[in-house]
Amino acid sequence: MPDIQEIPDAVFQETITRAVQEVFKTMLSQNATHSPMTPEETKACLGLDSPHVVSTVGFIGSINGLIYLYMDVKFATQCAANMLGMSDAEITEAGEEAVNDAIGELTNMTVGTFKNQLSDKGFPCKLTIPSIMRGSNFQIESISTATRRTYRFIIAGQTLIADLLMQPPSE
Amino acid sequence: MRYKILSVDDSKTVRIIIKKAFKLFDCDILEGANGVEGLAIATKETPDIILLDVTMPVMDGVEMLTKLKSDPALKSIPVIMLTAEGGKEHVLKIAKIGVRDYIVKPFKEELLVQKVGRIIDLKPITDAPAKAKSIFDPATLLVVEDKPAIFAQIKDGLKHTPWQVHGVASTGEAIDFCGRTAVDLIMISLSLPDESAFTLFRVLRTNLKTKYTPIFGLVVKTDAAAQQMAQQVGFTGIATKPIDIPELESKIAKAMNLDTSLRYFKTEGDMLIMSLPEVCTPTVINEVTNYLKSKVAEAVDSGMSKAVFDLHEVKRLDMPLIKMLLTAMQTCREVALVYSLVGNATLMADCKGYEDTRNWQFHENIEEARQNLQKQGATA
Repeated sequence: MPDIQEIPDAVFQETITRAVQEVFKTMLSQNATHSPMTPEETKACLGLDSPHVVSTVGFIGSINGLIYLYMDVKFATQCAANMLGMSDAEITEAGEEAVNDAIGELTNMTVGTFKNQLSDKGFPCKLTIPSIMRGSNFQIESISTATRRTYRFIIAGQTLIADLLMQPPSE
Repeated sequence: MRYKILSVDDSKTVRIIIKKAFKLFDCDILEGANGVEGLAIATKETPDIILLDVTMPVMDGVEMLTKLKSDPALKSIPVIMLTAEGGKEHVLKIAKIGVRDYIVKPFKEELLVQKVGRIIDLKPITDAPAKAKSIFDPATLLVVEDKPAIFAQIKDGLKHTPWQVHGVASTGEAIDFCGRTAVDLIMISLSLPDESAFTLFRVLRTNLKTKYTPIFGLVVKTDAAAQQMAQQVGFTGIATKPIDIPELESKIAKAMNLDTSLRYFKTEGDMLIMSLPEVCTPTVINEVTNYLKSKVAEAVDSGMSKAVFDLHEVKRLDMPLIKMLLTAMQTCREVALVYSLVGNATLMADCKGYEDTRNWQFHENIEEARQNLQKQGATA
């Protein structure tokens, strides 16, 4: 099995970009563009100060990791409505639970597509069940042994942050 | 038969997307949120197909699939895995347990419908108001013909019908047209270049929108080889060139399962009126004969006691027509329905020439016939 440390950053960037683009194109008919960030921008985008939906799915196996997708509540609601074929009024009536479930599934698909590419590169692993958080004033921090990579995507003028936290399997 | 599709996924979103994907098809969607629920529903409902996620709480998809395949009553139910788990090793492992297909999320609804449609015979829901039911309802016909004169002949010949006849000259245009419009019947010229009529036929039959649409082959009367080939591949019917419009119209009505009885039968007050056209072709005689018993029975059932056979338009009397009229009279007598005939001078003269018809009495119009029937009723 190849060593995870030997995988260049460019491969992770390419893999997550392909996953985000494929999922948003297939499920929402929207194009996603990777928008590189400076370290300051990265730090700023992870410190949330407005209402956001943050969804995460993990993968366990020859690599252990988590991917968080961050989107503001308005964008999350639009994505959910689009995915479920609902109008603005209908998704509002369906409530936060419907939005959370749709974003959880969108994350599941994105992380699944990412993970499947890693599996085919020689790092087999399994997905976990999605978790959703909502809030306005919080920051997710990683443990010191994890490798963190953060990517920004622009989708229909809105911002999606994909935050990858990875570590090799414990011996 | 209404098919049952069981969707087992912990994501309500996926279950809603699946429902949405199949809403235009004649099937019921059953839902389970995990393997335990999925197995319980499968046991109770015996679905025709199961769409199964892998990663779920309580019982995951692999465990449910294993249990399903070890149950003699359930193991034959086809399963399509619908999951974000798409690594090659994982797919191979699940394939060994026994699945019919594997769809990796994200997925297009069209792909899902297509894959399910390969396993069960999905049929679009009959949209009653949009579909033509009677000969007087509008319908959309498509003629795929590269010879404008033939298309013009068909369009012109059918202009007295409520049907909209559209023409395209190529298979590509036909596929585009069927993609955006609900077509009730398609006629394809079998002389399109490179046998493309047969390729188009196959494409239309694999498309769920046109899978059950009647398709006629348009072919020169003498081209027996093309006619035979069309019958072999499954064309609904053949219309031969030169086009015989009344025959084509009748074939179209039959293929679209249209009720043509209103052409011949109507009711006025307490009277059933059967009207025959100027020319009573074998097709007309056949249609009227087929409707006769049920129409007479319906009339009696709704309290009618009189019938008029309106033959004033009929130009010529022949044996098939006489035979059909004798059957109609006998049918009326069997249910005690009194009847009268309306005819014209030519017909009356023709009747004198046959033993069976020489004593038939005709009235000049329906009103006169009605009065005669009322008198008969009063006398009785």
